[in-house]
Formats: sequence, structure tokens, C-alpha cells
Amino acid sequence: MCRIAGIVNFELRIEEMEKNVNHMCDLQKHGGPDSSGIYTSEEKNVVLGNRRLSLLDMSDSGQMPMQYCDRYYITYNGEIYNFKSLKNELISLGHQFKNETDTEVILAGYAQWGVLVFSKLKGMYAFALWDSKERELFLVRDVMGIKPLYYGVQNDNLYFASEIRAFEGIEVLSEENKSWPIFMMAYGHLPEPITTYQKIKPLLSGCFLKYSLSNKSISIQSYSHLSFSNQIEVVDSAHYEHKHAIENSVKSHLIADAPIGVFLSGGLDSGVIASVASKYKETELNTLSIYFDEPEFSEKKYQDILIKQLNCKHHQLLLKEEDFHNSFESILQSMDLPSCDGINTWFISRYAKEIGLKAVLSGLGGDELYGGYPSFKRIELALLIQQMPDFLKSIGKASKSKKLNRMSYLKLDGIQGIYLFLRGHFTPHDIAHYLGTYEQEIWTILNDEPNVYSLDVVEGKNKASWMEFNLYMKNQLLRDSDVMSMIHGVEIRVPFLDEETVRLAYKTTPQIKFSGSRPKQFLIDMFKNDMPTEIWDRPKMGFSFPFSKWLTNSSFVKDKTNIDNKNLSSYYNKFINGNLHWSQLMSLIILNQRGLN
Amino acid sequence: MKKNTLFLTLKIFSATGGIEKVCRIVGKVLYENTLINSTRVLVCSMYDQQTDANDNKYFPSEIFRGYKKNRLRFIFSSIRKGFNQDVILLSHINLLLVGWMIKKLKPSVKLVMLAHGIEVWGELGWVKKTMLKSCDLVLPVSKFTADKIISGHQFDANNCKVLNNCLDPFMPIGNEFLGNQDVRKKYGYREDDKVIFTLCRLSSKERYKGYDKVIQALANLKSHQNNIKYLLAGSYDKEEKKYLDDLISELHLENEVKITGFIDDSELVSHFAMADLYIMPSMKEGFGIVFIEAMFYGVPVIGGNKDGSVDALMNGELGLLVNPEDVNEIENAIQKSLLNNQSRFTERSKMINNFGYEQYKQKLETILLN
Repeated sequence: MCRIAGIVNFELRIEEMEKNVNHMCDLQKHGGPDSSGIYTSEEKNVVLGNRRLSLLDMSDSGQMPMQYCDRYYITYNGEIYNFKSLKNELISLGHQFKNETDTEVILAGYAQWGVLVFSKLKGMYAFALWDSKERELFLVRDVMGIKPLYYGVQNDNLYFASEIRAFEGIEVLSEENKSWPIFMMAYGHLPEPITTYQKIKPLLSGCFLKYSLSNKSISIQSYSHLSFSNQIEVVDSAHYEHKHAIENSVKSHLIADAPIGVFLSGGLDSGVIASVASKYKETELNTLSIYFDEPEFSEKKYQDILIKQLNCKHHQLLLKEEDFHNSFESILQSMDLPSCDGINTWFISRYAKEIGLKAVLSGLGGDELYGGYPSFKRIELALLIQQMPDFLKSIGKASKSKKLNRMSYLKLDGIQGIYLFLRGHFTPHDIAHYLGTYEQEIWTILNDEPNVYSLDVVEGKNKASWMEFNLYMKNQLLRDSDVMSMIHGVEIRVPFLDEETVRLAYKTTPQIKFSGSRPKQFLIDMFKNDMPTEIWDRPKMGFSFPFSKWLTNSSFVKDKTNIDNKNLSSYYNKFINGNLHWSQLMSLIILNQRGLN
Repeated sequence: MKKNTLFLTLKIFSATGGIEKVCRIVGKVLYENTLINSTRVLVCSMYDQQTDANDNKYFPSEIFRGYKKNRLRFIFSSIRKGFNQDVILLSHINLLLVGWMIKKLKPSVKLVMLAHGIEVWGELGWVKKTMLKSCDLVLPVSKFTADKIISGHQFDANNCKVLNNCLDPFMPIGNEFLGNQDVRKKYGYREDDKVIFTLCRLSSKERYKGYDKVIQALANLKSHQNNIKYLLAGSYDKEEKKYLDDLISELHLENEVKITGFIDDSELVSHFAMADLYIMPSMKEGFGIVFIEAMFYGVPVIGGNKDGSVDALMNGELGLLVNPEDVNEIENAIQKSLLNNQSRFTERSKMINNFGYEQYKQKLETILLN
């Protein structure tokens, strides 16, 4: 797990390019504290940089950027969980390896199979691979979009990095995207492909960018995608296959040459991961959890029940309000792209680092695949309202109820409208008022992006799954997880997002995977014999912190919001009076933090 | 403003021919365009079922609609959808009626048709000719097809842009098969045998691929070179098999010619990799994707000079072009090609630069969406 950066440039002198790449890497140093490296191509127009956090083959032979056959070079961020089987296959085809890393397997795989190797890699990754003979550079991102990769092109020059902050000194890409505050206020994050910069975009999941230096042409191609189908229609075999896939995934996610643990929230998803991991971990399993003084948020009771059953070394942290106040400013600075969330991940990752763990397994993805969110129940109604005439959707505009208020979002076609109705923060009317612009402009911008294809043929609950997976999880949860864990030099692994598991879920009929009276009944039925009843037979809490209370008591927030800005202070007052959700206030704090009031 | 494209096809996934291959690739191009531009695409197939798109590698099945042979539903649904489109792309001339109706109802739509080969070479009735003229653009797969459309149907040459077919981006490189002798052993070939290979449908109704002429040329070659073997692969009908068996027996080529029947896609690479020469002196090839596939695996090629193969072989730059009716010319070309000891991959990069997926994608995007 690392941070990467690089430049292809036909104008700059090599010293300048190397200086730029080093600077880009330094800005991401937190994500790769163990070592750094740089590679410059012979013709001196490609520079690849890397900051390394070693988890596999921690010797110097795993140093990056890495080369293979003096022809292929890579700077890589990620984990390939099937690298051992690919390696064996490549050895049988005559390839030789110098180290024990998954990185070298990618290089040999590319030498053997070309771009088709990308779809053979199972795991989370983002890398740049340079074929010095063909003079082709590939930027590649995993199918689930777990690991980030951003790029910008100016004239024929290409810049890329794992984090947006790495582009800070790149003058030619510095133009700000004027629309980002609109997306931030509507979504609470920036949905792909929006970033704070006009010319910097994320490479989309399952895609690669190929830059052929000979003719200076760039092509972005999709090498793998996910689609729904109803191929698995029998409950018994669905159970067997899903359980088998999840167990295999957890097992493979435990591969590491460094200390690894499982995060226990006290809920079902992390409980499943922990109970499977405890079965397969050869050494004692580390688990970690956070609890609070505030009883309504603390899941300690459930964590204790699970710990009692698992054969593991447990670490529990009592997170106090004071710690939140002391850390809040650094948390805001830790953010890469703006996001209203991620604070919980920041704390749990810091704790993981403190107890000496380099990687932590998380239950992220379970809710999206198996129907853990309220949207799975609400989507049918939302779809129905979306079909109604627009004036009916606007009737709640003046209402104080957030839900009625957001109904106007259903005027937007497609799944974005549904998403913003169910999960949106501020309405276009409020956004326009806050940012001092016209409401129509907000509507036009939110209608144009993100450009999502029609889900007409997708069944209702699968639509909710698609929406949560692609719009919420990828844009918010995964990005927050990556940024907030890497800021502490800790890697978060997400076994539910193993490709086989996700593909199985996409192939299983909604009637099976979303069946039952409880949310995630299908997952419960798979694992209920492996864990205490209290863990699965309990109300859902999510992984939430007492933010509302803490933000109310925060003098930092009070100072920030009581500036000469009527808008912000009036929203702060609404929050204090209980009329604004803490995450909405967070969005405004972030705008303020970045110079927008 | 989003630009919407409706791609109407006959079959995409339920058949494995050249036209279907092109449609899958076009679908991928259009899908990938939606990932980086403000465009949307919907791919509709008259004959495929919705489930035929399951697990396909080219684009998500969410952007696909299969009408399962329900022609009326396909037509009405396409017309209805047509109102919201900016571009209507037809994969085949048999869909012209639908495209024409949409164009009549929404004249601002850009109507584009792909033209492959024999389906547009022959005489067209005045109805079809009139409808053809409503196309804003026709994209023939070769210059040969373009000439037929322009001269045969009096179509405006300015609205006819050649878009050569391309390599499937999911084609395996095939490194593992290079030097692998397993397939040669399977057919009982010795190491010093020279294997010439043809892969096509063996149809008694079509019979334009020229394999019978190759067999005749082989009979002549046998007298002075007895290590040339001919592997003829592809599904066949009974009548054609009998015709070929009779020909082989008449020319006493039982030891030289093998007819394999259908070969699964998974076995194609190993077959190309062991071949010393690919030959198909066809008379009616729209383009001949198989030529560029053979070249992708480093196999020298011989094609006919009277059809779209001329484009695939880049007027002879990438391989030898022969008069497909002249057995002697075929014989000489085989000899010349087998004598040539050049590396298998000499012309490969030139071929990829012309018929690679990226080049195709760039051309199609420029034509359709700019």
C-alpha cells in the first residue's frame, strides 16, 4: 500500500520533472511513510514516483518504482489478493521473479497478457505502468474503485497522483472547478468525476488510461464493469456460494507480512468479517473498536459480546469528547477532496496505528450489497413520486421537513434525483441562496453531472443497491476510508468488496438477497450460526459518533461560524436549535475552511 | 447538454459473425464515451434476448435492450426512443426502415448507418434507395464497400466515410502459445510441415471464400513441395462438406487437407499461433476481420484483390493480394509467402496502428459525436 505520483512531460527539463514528482510524493508522505522512490525513463519524459507503506515483502527488494526485464516499470498502490495463484501461473509460463511482492506479479502479468492482465487482478489497486519499449504508459484503477487515482492533462502533458492534494504545486492544472461547492452542498461530497480542480479528474473504476507517447494519444478504456443479472435464483445455492465467497475473501484479505487487525463496530458486517477472520488467521487475531461515554452511541455492549466469543486480542478505545475537540482541526486538514464525513475512520485508523497495526479489515460494502440502508425500503416510493408532474414535487419546498424539502430533487431524471431525494444535503434553492447564484443554474449543473446511465431495466431494490454502491459508497465511504486511514499510514481492507463476492451479489435475484423481515436477512441467515444472537438480532446503529453533541460544544466550530457571514451563522443557529443535521453543518464548515462563505 | 445515441442492431451477442463482432466493439466505444463525456447511449437488438448481454465484457447490460425477435415491439420502441436522441446508429441496412421513420419524425436527428459487405453491394429497390438517402452518413467498412454504395446507389460520396473494422480489444495476446507444438501434434503435423490456415464459414450457398481454389493450388504445389498442409476450419453444411471431400479425394489431397469444423473461440489463438500462413482468397469479403486477427498473431496473410480484403491488407502492404479466381496466382503467392523467412511480426505494428481498437474508437467518436 502506497501513494503514487508521476508526470509525462515533453517540455520540462528532467530536473524540474523529478523535483515536481518528488514534491507530489512528499505531499502524500503520510500514506507511504516507510520509503520513497523515483524512476525516470531513458528518454527523460516519464517520471514515476512512489511513497511506500510496506505490507508484503518488507525487504528492499520490494522497493518502488519496480522494474521487470528492464522494460516494464511500475509505481503501485494496492493489494492483489490473488497474486500467489497468478504468480504460479506465470512461473509455469516461464517467468522468473526476484521478490515476494504482488507488484512484480502485475509486471510479469502485463508482460505475458498485456492489458488483459488488469481484469485478472483481484484486489484493490491503482498504479501506473510504463512499457519503455512500446513507449506506453498505463494508469489503472481497480474495478470496485477502492483505491483512488487522479489525473490531469494539459497540452500533451499528463500528471497523476493518489490524492488531489499532490497537485498543489502544478500550476498548469491549478484552475479551480467553480461548481464544486454546489456538489458539496447537494451531496455532502464531490461525486465522480467532480473534483475541486477543473482539469483534474478521477480515473474511473475498472478503467485504464493509455498514453501512447509515440503519437501522443490518450485513450481511456473500460476493462471490466459490473452489471446486474438474475442468474442465481435458488436460495440454497445462493447461500452456499455467497458464504463461500465471503469466507474466501476474508481469508485472502488476511495476507500480510505486517500486523493486521479487524475493526469491530459491534454491528453485523464487521461481526461477520471478524468471526470468519478468527477462523482463518493463523496467529492471534487483533480486533479493535471504539466506544463512547454517550450510551446512545456506544456499541460497547455488542462489541463485548462478540469479543467474548472470538479468540482474539482485543483493543478497545474510549473516545472522549475532549479528544474530538483536540483533533477536529487536524481532521479537517487531513481531508483530501472535501467530504462531510470520514471522522470516524480518522479516529479508528489513528487507534490502529497506535496499537501497531498496519492494516485493518472493515465491514464496508455489506450494507450496499445486502440491503442494509433505509433506501432499500424507500426507493419504490421515490420512483413513484419521480413519475409525478414536477409541480407536485415542489410542494414541500417551503416545508421545514428535510424529506419534503428534498422532494424537489425528484425533478432530476434518473438515479441522481432519487439519490439526492434520499441522501441529499441542501436543496438547489438553499444552495443558490447560500452561494449567491440562480437556482436554475444549480439545477442545470446537478442535472449534467454525474453522467449516469439509465437504470430502467434494473429492478427496484437493485436500483437502490446500485445507487448506494456507486454514488454513496464509491464517492463517500471508500474515499473517506482511503484518505482518513492513509493519513495515519494505515491500510483499510474491505473483504465485502472482493470481486467474486460483489459479482455474486450482482447475479443474485433481489428476491433472494433482499428477502426477509430484517435488513440484510440474507447475510444474517448465512452467518447466524457463527455469531451470538445479540449481534444479528439488534437494531441497526451504523458506525456513528455523537457528532451532533460534540459539534454543538465545539468552540472551534462556534468561532468559525460566528464570523461576518449571516448565512453561515444562521445555519449554525439552526444546527444549535436542532433544525440542521450535523453533516450539513460539516459541509458548510468545509466550504468555509476552503475560503467559501 | 447531453448527447444521446441510440444504436440499433439485429444481433450482438446471440451470434458470432463479423457483423456481431463489430456491433459489440461499437457498443464498447459508445459506452466508454459516456464515461468521459456528456453522452448517453442505448444499445438495442432486435433478435437478442435481454439475458444474452449477461456477463458480456463490452458494456454493462443496463444500457442494452434485447427484443427477443419481437420485431414490432423493437420498431415501435425504437421510434419512441428516437424522439430523445441526437444520433441514431444503424448496424445494418435491414434496419433502415426504422431509422428512416425516426428521421422523418425528428429530422434533426443524425442518422448513421454501418455498411459491411454484400448486404449493400447488390441492387436495392427504390424504396430502400430513397431511405438510404435519408442517412446523414454511411460508414462502410472498406473502400470497396464505399465504392459500391456511391456508384451502385448514387449515394453522395461526401456522406460516405470509410470506417475500417478493428481488432477486438479483448483478444488475448497469445504469448503462451508461441512455440507451443500441442495443436500441431493434435493434427499430426511434423515440425517441418508448413501449415496454411483458413477460418471461415463453409457454406454451399455462399462459397465465396476461395478455399476450394486454395485446395486446387495445393494440388499443384504438392508435386514439388510435399510438406504443405492445409487446415480449413469453421462450421460447415453437409452439402459443402461433401463438395470439399469430393474435391480433396479427386485431387488426392487426403493427407494434406484437414477440415476441422467449428472451432471454439478459446482455441482460436492456439490455431493462429501454429499457422505459417493465413489464406482466404475471397470474392465477397466486406473487410475480413480474420485477416487482421491472423496478423495480430504474427501470421502472414494472403487475401483476394477483388473485395474489401484489399483494405484489411492495406493494398498489399500487409500481405499478398491475389486474383481469387486465378489458381496459379494463389499457388505462387503461397510459395512466395512460405519462402519468405521474415519474422512473423514484421508488419504487426503497422497493422495495429491502422486497425487497433484505439484508432477505431477515435475515428468513430469523431464521426458520430463531434
